[in-house]
Amino acid sequence: MDPALLVVWILRLLFLGLLYAFLWSVVRVLMRDLRSASKGPATALGRLVVLASPSGEPPVGAAFSLDAVVTLGRDVNNSIVLEDEFVSTTHARLTFRGRAWYVEDAGSTNGTFVNGSRIDTISPLAFGDEVQIGQVRLRLDRARP
Amino acid sequence: MTADSSSLGRRIPIGTALGRVGLALAVAFGALAAGAGYWQVFRSTDLSSSPDDAGVIAASRHVLRGVITDRDGKRLAWNVRDKNGEPFRMYASPALSGVLGYASRQWGNSGLERAWDAQLSGAASADPLYDLTRKFRTDPADPEALKTTLVLQLQQAAVKALGSNRGAVVMLDPRTGEILAMASTPTFDASAIANPATSDKAFRALQADPSLPLLPRATQGRYVPGSIFKIVTATAALSSGAITPATTFAQQPPAEKNGLLVSGFRVHDGHHLFTGSEAMNFDQAVEVSCNIYFALSGLKAGGEAMSTWAARFGFGDSIPFDLPTAASQVTGGGGSFGGGFEDDVELANAAYGQGETLVTPLQMALVASAVANGGILMTPHLVLSATGRTASTTISPTVWRQVMQPDIAGEITNAMKLAVNSAWGRIFTSGARVSGLTVAGKSGTAELDPGNKPHSWFIGFAPADNPQIAIAVIVEHGAHEVRASPLAGDLFRAWRAWANT
Amino acid sequence: MTAAPAPAPAGALRPGFRLALRPRFRRRELGLLLVVSVALIAGRISLGVTQRAAAARLAGDSGPVAIVVPTDLAILAAYVGVLFAAHLALVLAGRRTDQILLPTVGMLGGIGLLLMERLPQTLAGSLGGLARTQLVWLVLSFALITALAVAVRNDAWLRRYKYTWAAVGVGLLLLAFVFGRDVNGARLGIAIGPLTGQPSELLKVILVVFLAGYLSENRSLLVEESTRIGPFSVPPLPYLAPMVAMWAMALGIVVVQRDLGAALLFFLVFLLLLYVATARVSYVVLGVAAALIGGAILYSRLGYVQTRVDVWLNPFADAQGAGFQIVQALHAFARGGLIGTGLGAGLPTIGGRPPIPALHTDFPFAALGEELGLVGILAILGLYLVVIERGLRIAATAPDEFRAILAAGLSLVVGVQAFIIAAGNLKLVPLTGITLPFVSYGGSSLLANGLVVGLLIALSERGAELPPPGPRRGRLARLGRLVDRGAP
Repeated sequence: MDPALLVVWILRLLFLGLLYAFLWSVVRVLMRDLRSASKGPATALGRLVVLASPSGEPPVGAAFSLDAVVTLGRDVNNSIVLEDEFVSTTHARLTFRGRAWYVEDAGSTNGTFVNGSRIDTISPLAFGDEVQIGQVRLRLDRARP
Repeated sequence: MTADSSSLGRRIPIGTALGRVGLALAVAFGALAAGAGYWQVFRSTDLSSSPDDAGVIAASRHVLRGVITDRDGKRLAWNVRDKNGEPFRMYASPALSGVLGYASRQWGNSGLERAWDAQLSGAASADPLYDLTRKFRTDPADPEALKTTLVLQLQQAAVKALGSNRGAVVMLDPRTGEILAMASTPTFDASAIANPATSDKAFRALQADPSLPLLPRATQGRYVPGSIFKIVTATAALSSGAITPATTFAQQPPAEKNGLLVSGFRVHDGHHLFTGSEAMNFDQAVEVSCNIYFALSGLKAGGEAMSTWAARFGFGDSIPFDLPTAASQVTGGGGSFGGGFEDDVELANAAYGQGETLVTPLQMALVASAVANGGILMTPHLVLSATGRTASTTISPTVWRQVMQPDIAGEITNAMKLAVNSAWGRIFTSGARVSGLTVAGKSGTAELDPGNKPHSWFIGFAPADNPQIAIAVIVEHGAHEVRASPLAGDLFRAWRAWANT
Repeated sequence: MTAAPAPAPAGALRPGFRLALRPRFRRRELGLLLVVSVALIAGRISLGVTQRAAAARLAGDSGPVAIVVPTDLAILAAYVGVLFAAHLALVLAGRRTDQILLPTVGMLGGIGLLLMERLPQTLAGSLGGLARTQLVWLVLSFALITALAVAVRNDAWLRRYKYTWAAVGVGLLLLAFVFGRDVNGARLGIAIGPLTGQPSELLKVILVVFLAGYLSENRSLLVEESTRIGPFSVPPLPYLAPMVAMWAMALGIVVVQRDLGAALLFFLVFLLLLYVATARVSYVVLGVAAALIGGAILYSRLGYVQTRVDVWLNPFADAQGAGFQIVQALHAFARGGLIGTGLGAGLPTIGGRPPIPALHTDFPFAALGEELGLVGILAILGLYLVVIERGLRIAATAPDEFRAILAAGLSLVVGVQAFIIAAGNLKLVPLTGITLPFVSYGGSSLLANGLVVGLLIALSERGAELPPPGPRRGRLARLGRLVDRGAP
């Protein structure tokens, strides 16, 4: 067989083979990524349980699984919508940093209270602590396994 | 953000919606993959082998047609590539136009290029096994190179001899039927037609040319034969027993002055100036080309015999040949006089090559060939061999038919020898005699309608006792100015020069 | 969602772009780029050998053919160099961004470049050869990707000014309508001096930015306040207006610009993003119904739409006339078969011309189908699926809805475009004149897609987990850090 022809055949197969090698390694990464992602969100970082809610929205006893950044307020685009006349549009923000939860006031009219005391800077929030926003009281719980 | 409580509105998380969109796209791309599989695997063979496929078309455009050579190996037609790398044909000389024709992408093929197109382009193969395995080959074409029977220098000599006159020359070997030269003038430049750059202009110009250069006169030109037809008449009369070489006709000498009366028609003659009122025998009649002798012979033989014996030469039908041929005729037919003749007048006129007789130069060359070969007519052919990549086909000479008995062929040969070499004969065939070579032949001047100059003909062969070359020459409207006989003489000399190398 | 930590001290900047040098290894990306480079080099060498062997055969020369000729590899080497330079820039910037997009897009661009090197260089007009011009645009495109991936840290500039973006988009569209020139009968370009650009390419990115902002903001309303008509939910009427505007714009593009592909792309992306935002199938169904109705009207009114659809349904009926392009493309696929004819060995020329018109812009997919075969085609489709998957993944892990919809939209814009033109080449949908992202020849296409991929990489930053707040640092510093991360 013509040596040039042989070389071309080898190179062609090499090219196609490498193309698939690339795809294969990428797909492996993607599968691993998806698998860990499907496990990930299931392990929520925490839950917020509604203890008191005069307006009824959200209902008492409701529990929210939390993401790393949670916003609370009256505006419908907040992560947790609190329909209470004493709640500001964007009232408070809960963030998970490092290994702990923190809460901060997002510039509300009536302030945010942790275990009864008003907070003025970003403050840690432990599991079991209660947050008061307007007339709504919520408690931070661990995530359900 | 997920909400456990369902009363907070149905906010399906974005993640799920994204997942569904991703799935939809995956399905869509799967459809693409299926579509690709359909066209690239399922429909692959039928689309890629269809004649509109660009690959098929390109392959046919890139095929290197088989090279055509003459019998000595000189290239007659070969391939040259244009600026796109696509090959086109180039020819050694316009002299070959009458027999090779042209092969052009735009205007198709003609001549030998057309007749052997399948082999030249490789569509057919010399090797039967090759045809079977064709499907599995990367290069499916196996163009075959043709070695023809032609001799380039004889072909060029023929065209040179004809000069600016319209006409044709056929030269063949009577022992094998191989055609050494087949020329038709005016010639044309086939290379100009084959070259894509000049093709259009050249072809249209040729189509518009009133001298019809594209007509292959040697095989398809039909002419009034005149006196050369007497050889056919002689065959018929001698073979049927109507005459013998010793036969003389009493009516002939007196008819010399005023012509022979045949049912009110006068058959005239032109030789009595130097033959006086001598009664001609067969040899002498041929020598001086006596119309009256042959008219009487023809009448004696009868229309039936004339037609039958002419048919044995190949008259009345196309000739088995590489190129298409026009049929020569003895009579227009339809008459009831016997043999298709209308009446005795027509028969008498046909006997000396007038009347409704029409012949092609090839046919008359075959007449000479049959006489030369002892009455056995070999099948004319143009190709010696076709050679492909792995196999080769050789064409051997074959006998077409026996036209006449050898002794009659001998008698006619004798007479034709005299027609060229004797004192009387030389008056009519002057120029055909070649010193050192015994030429046998017959000249003819074919009378046409008044206003048209007669055609000038010559048929013959040489050497007379062991014929190796038979010839037919016609000069259209040559009359007595440009006569075929001296042309034939030149061509015999050219042949001798070639044969001796 | 615009949470502005109040009060913002006067004079505080909102840096959306920042360059910081914090080198971090990107091993996966490097490994993949190496595979890409070797593959492309192998491909280029095979192309070179094939072309030289064919030339030798043509000249009747049966001697040995040189295998590696250094000048052969010049353009490809430059391209590979650019890829590694981009990688280096990303390493130096040290952001924890997606490591798969750059190599994937690099592979696609490389395949496109190989194709441009293989085609006759005169197809590109007078700008110095097909391959060189494509290389220049690829370099610019990757420079753009790198710049965006390194510098864009805050998407506020995208999400804040959505109506401004919409206005820019409409402005571009009008510009195209008024000043556009007819190129090849269908596509419209704007000419600035010797360069021609296609506004529809940039428009698709602007559209996605606008939609991301609009849909994320009004997501709840769209979902919760829909009116029900029988089994279908219709978006609340005030919000119907922008939707109808989208539909009208798409139809307008078809009618005025005669760009069926762009219209199809815009409308499909819009419907898919609508679904992503609201998860309401009925909206999509409604949209499709509206599109079909509009399409039917156009079919009956516009001659060229009719031709396109008729040719799609039966191209072999007019194989020499209107159906010529698609028939030739299908023949090209057929000639390719399972593993193709090999780079440089397919695409038989007739009279010096390649068999398919507009091969470098509209039909690179068919050309690759012929030369790389079904195996190659499946790999290329796989590459686009990878881009889509990465984009959707980035969207799924985005910290807020704007980013999610934006990332989804960006990846859809590339993926759906690839789908439309590939399907058109394969006669699965009517043929349109849009480009195959990163593979087709065309500067506007490469720049716009570079913009998309650059933004995607920037958006993919794995939220560095927010660091715990330090002890009583100044407000300014804290604000600075917060704003930096573009926290919602």
